[in-house]
Amino acid sequence: MLSETPYIGDMIQCKDICLAFNEKSIFTNFNAKIKAGENVCIGGASGKGKSSLLNLFQGYVIPQSGSISVAGKNLSPTTIKEIREQIMYVPQNIHLPVKNGSALADLMGIQKKLPKIKQALTQLGLTEDFLEKDFMKISGGQKQRIVIAVCLGLDKNILLMDEPTASLDDDSINLLIKTIGNLKDKTIVSASHNQQWAESCDRIIEL
Amino acid sequence: MNTIIDINLKELAIGAFLLVIPIVFFYIYRIKLVKDVLINVIRMVVQLGLVALYLEFIFELNNAWINSIWVLVMIVVGVLTAINRIGLKTKYFVLPFFIAGLTSILIIDTFCLGFILKLDYVFDARYFIPITGMILGNALNHNIVGLNTYFRAHTEKRELYRFLLSNTGNQQLAVRPFIEEAAKTALNPMIANMSVVGLVTLPGMMTGQILGGSQPAVAIKYQIMIMIAIFVGCTINIFLSIIFTNKIIFNEYGNMKDGLVKENGLRLKKPSKHRLKH
Repeated sequence: MLSETPYIGDMIQCKDICLAFNEKSIFTNFNAKIKAGENVCIGGASGKGKSSLLNLFQGYVIPQSGSISVAGKNLSPTTIKEIREQIMYVPQNIHLPVKNGSALADLMGIQKKLPKIKQALTQLGLTEDFLEKDFMKISGGQKQRIVIAVCLGLDKNILLMDEPTASLDDDSINLLIKTIGNLKDKTIVSASHNQQWAESCDRIIEL
Repeated sequence: MNTIIDINLKELAIGAFLLVIPIVFFYIYRIKLVKDVLINVIRMVVQLGLVALYLEFIFELNNAWINSIWVLVMIVVGVLTAINRIGLKTKYFVLPFFIAGLTSILIIDTFCLGFILKLDYVFDARYFIPITGMILGNALNHNIVGLNTYFRAHTEKRELYRFLLSNTGNQQLAVRPFIEEAAKTALNPMIANMSVVGLVTLPGMMTGQILGGSQPAVAIKYQIMIMIAIFVGCTINIFLSIIFTNKIIFNEYGNMKDGLVKENGLRLKKPSKHRLKH
C-alpha cells in the first residue's frame, strides 16, 4: 500500500521550471521544494500560475524546460502513472456526470473505501447520508465537501487542492482546515487566495 | 401485390413541383433556404441518377470483388464525411474510423446475409450493397453525433478527465463518462425510434419494399432485421471508433494531443432530435 510507506524527503521538487502559454511566460526558472508531510499553500493573484503549478505536478502541463520530481521520481512519460498513483486531486467547482457522492465513488472505482469516505465526510461536518443526496439539491459548499471526502477516501500520499475554500462558508472552512490539519502523514499542496486558509498552512509559496 | 407501378421521368418531374410549396413558405417568411434547396435537390437527382446507372451495372456483373470494392469505397467516403463534418484532421482519424467501419460491416453482413438470409452467395449485389449501405448511412449519421460529443466533451470537460485520471490513475476509468455521453447521444434517438416505429413512423425501407411488391409481413420482417442490424452496427462502429482513436489522441502523459481538431472544428451542436433514416 502506498500510504504505508511514506516517502521521506522532498515530496515535490521543481527545478528551473520555465513555462509559457502562447508566448506568455508563467514561470521563469521557478524553483520550489515541498517536504513530505508539509502543508503548503500556493498564493498569488489570478493568472500567476497557481493552477498551472498543480497541473505541472500531475503531468497535465509539461514545462518548456526544467524538471519536476514527485516522491523521488522524475516526472516523465515512464513515471507519470506511478506519480499519479500517489496523488489525490480536488479541483475547483467541477461539473460531475454523476448524481451523488456514492455514484462518484462508484465512478472512481472506490466503493470499497466507503467507510473511509464516510469518516472524512463526518469530519467535514456532513452526515453519512449526504453521500446519497442529489448534487442538484445541495449547496455548492456541501458538494465540494463531498468531493473532498471522496478524494480523501483514496488515502494516497499527496493531496492537491485547487481553491478548496471557493464554495465554502466560514464554518465549513474551519472544519476543512481542521480535517486537513489532521492529515499529518500526507503532503498537502493547495492553490488558494483565501487568507484564513493560507494562514492555516505550514508555509505559503507566493507566486 | 406483384405489379410495380413504374414512375416515368415526366411524372417524376411533376412530382418535383411539390417543392413549390416549401419554396413559397421560404419566400414569404424571407428564409434564405431557396437556393440551398434547389442546389441540393439537383445534386440529389444527379447523384441518384448516377447510382441508378452504376447499380444496374453492378447488379448485372454481380462480381464479389467489384461489390466488395464498392462497399470499401462507401466506407471510405463515409469515414471522410464523418471526419470532415466533425472537424477533425483527416490524417489522424482516417485509419481508426475505417477499421471501425469495416469491422462493423463485416460482423453485421456476415450475420445478416450469411446466418439470417442464408444467401448462397453473400456478395449478391441485390442484398450486399443495399443492406451495407443502409447500415453505413445510419452509422455515419450517428457516429458524427457521437464522436462530435466525445471530442467536444474532452475539450469542454478537461477538468473532469484530469480529476478522474489523477484520482483513479486509470485512463479507462477516466474516459468512461465521456464514452457514456457519446454513446447515449448517438444511440438514444435510435432506441427511442424503435419504440414508435409502426405507430408514428413507417420506415422508408419497409414502405419501399411494399411499394415494390413485397408482402407486408415479409417487408416487416426485413424491417425488424435491418433495424436491429443498424442499431448493432452503429453501436459497434461508435465504440470501436472511440476505442481506436483513444490509442492515438492521447500523448504519453495521457493528455489529449493538440492539433487533432481543425481550427473551426467541433462546431456541431447536439441535435435536439436525430431521427433514424431507413
